[in-house]
Amino acid sequence: MSDNKEIKNGDVLFEIEHLQKNFGDLQVLNDISTKIRKGEVVVIVGPSGSGKSTFLRSLNLLEEPTGGVIKFEGRDITDKHSNINLYRQKIGMVFQHFNLFPHKTILENMTLAPIKLLKIPKADAEKEAMELLERVGLTEKAEAYPSQLSGGQKQRIAIVRALCMHPDVILFDEPTSALDPEMVGEVLNVMADLAREGMTMVIVTHEMGFAREVGTRVMFVDEGQIKEENTPQEFFANPKNERLQEFLSKII
Amino acid sequence: MSDFQLKFYTNFIKEDRYLYLLKGLGNTLIITLFAVIIGVVLGFLVAIIRSTYAKTGKLKLLNTLCGIYLTVIRGTPMMIQLMIMFYVVFVSSNNKILVAVIAFGINSGAYVAEIVRSGIMSIDQGQFEAGRSLGFSYPQTMWYIIMPQAFKNVLPALANEFIVLLKETSICGYIGLMDLTRGGDIIRSRTYEAFMPLIAVAIIYLIMVVGLTALVGKLERRLRASER
Repeated sequence: MSDNKEIKNGDVLFEIEHLQKNFGDLQVLNDISTKIRKGEVVVIVGPSGSGKSTFLRSLNLLEEPTGGVIKFEGRDITDKHSNINLYRQKIGMVFQHFNLFPHKTILENMTLAPIKLLKIPKADAEKEAMELLERVGLTEKAEAYPSQLSGGQKQRIAIVRALCMHPDVILFDEPTSALDPEMVGEVLNVMADLAREGMTMVIVTHEMGFAREVGTRVMFVDEGQIKEENTPQEFFANPKNERLQEFLSKII
Repeated sequence: MSDFQLKFYTNFIKEDRYLYLLKGLGNTLIITLFAVIIGVVLGFLVAIIRSTYAKTGKLKLLNTLCGIYLTVIRGTPMMIQLMIMFYVVFVSSNNKILVAVIAFGINSGAYVAEIVRSGIMSIDQGQFEAGRSLGFSYPQTMWYIIMPQAFKNVLPALANEFIVLLKETSICGYIGLMDLTRGGDIIRSRTYEAFMPLIAVAIIYLIMVVGLTALVGKLERRLRASER
């Protein structure tokens, strides 16, 4: 992490090799191997209980793998001697239930980590946070507390809170699943904007329209394995895996 | 002079007897204050150790020690603990106040620990995950994100514990320490009159508890500002 090697588009960000995760006897992830490159928008779909969220949460070790290797920017983060906290600064995460800090204002939510971890001066961190707030149209909420925001607003704040750390990639764990239907759009719009700007994103979602339009690659996870991955066009038009055909027929 | 005035005079004014109450009150306050400090430090430490073990499986040995501490302290009467401290552990010490501070502090720590632990465990796991995902270490997440919320949630229970502690110091007389209660007792033994000194002592405790409650209420309202 010490060197400031520029990461170019197309460089491998994540290299996942034979990833395994067991909860006791239950095998949740069964030998997942894939690569995620800079600039990609990888959308992960699959039935509930398929392991897609566990896979996503393994990428920043919120779930600790029981086997296999995850390399982030060339370094093995599953090695127990590596300092995961430093890698996590580069891997943003947005949760289904937002997880804003209720005891802090929106501005404090956004600037806490940059000030404490990146040692950015408070004034600079706040200036940047305000610019980000403007981008998502929530400038007037800077001094509000999370409880005063709607779900859609909370999730937009959660996204810009992640952005404040200048991550190389952002993981989204069902970002719109806890939202009222009329608020889904505003969150997806922010995500689509990010994708257009070239942010690398890994997204677990049930929004197939979003996957088709914004994703650069769609991944079908079932029974703890990647059963199929392809460009969105191919993925939805010509699904080859039987389980995927069945899955798509049910939800579209 | 009316009967009441006369009684008031013999119990409090004559021979400067009010000084027993004043000095006792001073001791009660000193013991409570320092016991609260020890109790809070000890309690938060034990609570963090126990909830860290519950969440991560780390600190197993310390967790076991904390478990023993909680069992022993909560399983025996405060009065016995105080007397063991004075007659057994610190048998050579003449500083009764110090012995009482330590005994009450260790006792209160056990109750504070369980209160704080319940506060930590009540914070949504998502808050931990959000903190960790930003790159905060476990201690940093605890400090910046979990503890401020947990503290706010347990403040009423903590205040209750401090009120209990304040009143519980009234057993200090058992080791011959003149606290507020003992001060009233001394007056009673001089004047052979129960009403005046006991009621006076009760009123002083009451005033202290009401004051403490008001103070905590104020703090609570300030901390709740984020939940409008």
